[in-house]
Amino acid sequence: MTPLRRVVLVDDHDLFRAGVRAGLGPAVEVVGEAGTVADAVPLIKELDPDVVLLDVHLPDGGGQAVIVQVAPERPGVKFLALSVSDAAEDVIGVIRAGARGYVTKAISGEELTEAVHRVADGDAVFSPRLAGFVLDAFRGEEVSGTGDPELDQLTAREREVLQLIARGYTYKEIASRLYLSPRTVESHVSAVLRKLQLSNRNELTRWAAERRLI
Amino acid sequence: MSSIRSLRLPAALPGFQRAEGGRVVAGVAAGIGESLAVDATLVRLTFAFLSFASGAGIVAYLGLWSFMPAPGVSESSRKRRIAGAVLLVWAGVLALRGLGLADPFVWMLALMGAGLVIGTGAQTFGLSERRAHVAAIVLIVAGIVVFVGDNNSWNASTFLPPGAVAVALILVLAPFGWRLVRERNAERAARIREQERTEMAARVHDSVLQTLTLIQKEPGDARRLARRQERELRAWLYPDSEQAAEGALGAALEAAAAEVEELHGARVEVVRSGDAALDERLSALVLAAREAMTNAARHAGVEEISVFLDAGETNVSVYVRDRGAGFDPEAVAADRRGLADSIRGRMERVGGSARIVSAPGEGTEVELEVPR
Repeated sequence: MTPLRRVVLVDDHDLFRAGVRAGLGPAVEVVGEAGTVADAVPLIKELDPDVVLLDVHLPDGGGQAVIVQVAPERPGVKFLALSVSDAAEDVIGVIRAGARGYVTKAISGEELTEAVHRVADGDAVFSPRLAGFVLDAFRGEEVSGTGDPELDQLTAREREVLQLIARGYTYKEIASRLYLSPRTVESHVSAVLRKLQLSNRNELTRWAAERRLI
Repeated sequence: MSSIRSLRLPAALPGFQRAEGGRVVAGVAAGIGESLAVDATLVRLTFAFLSFASGAGIVAYLGLWSFMPAPGVSESSRKRRIAGAVLLVWAGVLALRGLGLADPFVWMLALMGAGLVIGTGAQTFGLSERRAHVAAIVLIVAGIVVFVGDNNSWNASTFLPPGAVAVALILVLAPFGWRLVRERNAERAARIREQERTEMAARVHDSVLQTLTLIQKEPGDARRLARRQERELRAWLYPDSEQAAEGALGAALEAAAAEVEELHGARVEVVRSGDAALDERLSALVLAAREAMTNAARHAGVEEISVFLDAGETNVSVYVRDRGAGFDPEAVAADRRGLADSIRGRMERVGGSARIVSAPGEGTEVELEVPR
C-alpha cells in the first residue's frame, strides 16, 4: 500500500483549491492551504509536508518566491508546480527555482494523485507541455562557453524519452516501448530535471535572467 | 508655511489680487489700485509711462498679471508665479535702461535683484532652500562679474550678460521644467494604464462574460464553450513571439486542433517544440494532422487527444495520439478515403510519410513526417 502523503495546497483561487482537494485520492491528505506567498511560507515551514502543490502565479511573487524562501530551511519538502500558464519562461523559472515537476491544471485527479506520489518519492514529473519546453530549450548544438557540456546537452536516450512524454505517453508506456524498466525511465527524467536546474545553457540562462533567478 | 511665505517674496505684493469689477484688460491695474487704495487710473498711467522705457510697462503688466492670483484665489499656480517673476525682472531691466543707466550696471542690478528674489523666495518657486541659495549666490556673483568685468574693459559685457541671464534662467527654470516633465510622464503612464484597463474590460466583456452567459443559457454546451474560451484567452494572454518571426506552422496546427475541438467536442492538447514557416508541404502536413485528429475525435471515443509538433533541423514531425478504441490498420479497407487519401496520399505527394500505429483497445498514434 502506498504511504499517506501530506500535502499543502498553494493557490490563490478558493474554487480551484476545493476542486483539487476533492479530486485527490485517499492516500493524499491536504494538511494546509494558502493563497499567497506571505501565508504559504510560514505555513509550509510549520507543517513540513511531503509535497507542496504550488501555483506558478501568485498575487505576491509567484511560486518561485515560495520555493526560494522555504527550500533552504526545509530541504525535505518537494514542490510540484501547477498552472494554467503556457509561458515557457514561467514554467522553466519555477523548475529552475527547485520544483520537481510541472503539470497543467487540466490534469485529472487521478493523474495528479499519481504525480504527488511520484514527486514525494523523489522523482520528477514532466507533463507533455514541459517536455516540449525542455526539448526546445536543449535544441541544437549551441552550448554556452562556460557551460559544462555534461549539463548543457541531453543524451539521445533522454531526448527520446522526452519526445515520448511530449507525444502523450505515460512512463509505463514509454518503458515498454523502449524496452526499459519504468525505473530507468524515471531516472532519465530525473536526469533531465537536474540538467534543467543546473545547466548554464544560453537559452536557459536567458529565461532565468528574465525571471531574476540568477 | 503661509506665514513664512507672507514674510518673504509675496510680502512685496501684499494681498494683491486681480480685480473682478472695474477692470479694463485683465484687472491687474484695478487690483493694484484696490490694494493700495489709489485710483486705478493712476496705476494704469504708471504702466503707460513705463511702457515708453522700451516697453517696460507692458512687460511689467504681463508679469504682474501672471503673478497675481485670479479673483477669489489665494495664490496663483507655481508656473504662473515663476513666469511672473521672470517677466518682472525683465521689466526692471528695461526700466533701468530707460532711465539711461549703463548696460553693465543695469545687468548687475537685475542679476543681483533676481538673486535676492530667488534666495528669499524658495517656496514661491518650489525650490529647496539649498537650491534657491545656490541659485541666488550664482546670480549675485554673475552680476558683480558683469559689472567689474566691463569696468576693467574685458569686453566681456558683450557675451557675459546674455550668458549670465541664460544661466540664471536655467537655474530657475530647470527644476521647474524637470518637475513638469515628470508630471507629464506620470500622467501619460496613468493614461496608458487606464487605456489598458479599458481595453481589458472590453475584452473580458466580449469574451468571458459572453461565454458565461451562453453557458447559463445552455449548460449542456458548457464544456465546449469553456474550452473555446480558454483557447481564445490563452492566445491573447500569451501571444507567440516565435510564430511572428519564424512562420506559422505551430499556429496553423493549433487552429486545426481548435476546429476539431469545436466540431467534435474532444479536447485536443497541442504541445510544440520548435516552429517553421508555413509552406506548401507543411500546409499538407497540417491538413493531414487535422484529418488524424478528426478520426481520433470521431472513432476513438476519448475525451483527450495529444498532438506533438517537433520541428527539427532536418525534418518536421507531427504525432497525433489517442488512448481510445484503436483498430487493426491491416483490416481497414484499402479504399477508405480518410486514411488512404487525406493522410497517406497527402503526405506522400509532398515527399513525406505517414505511419499509423494502432491495435484494438490500445489507442492509435499517427506519425506524420516531412523533410525540411
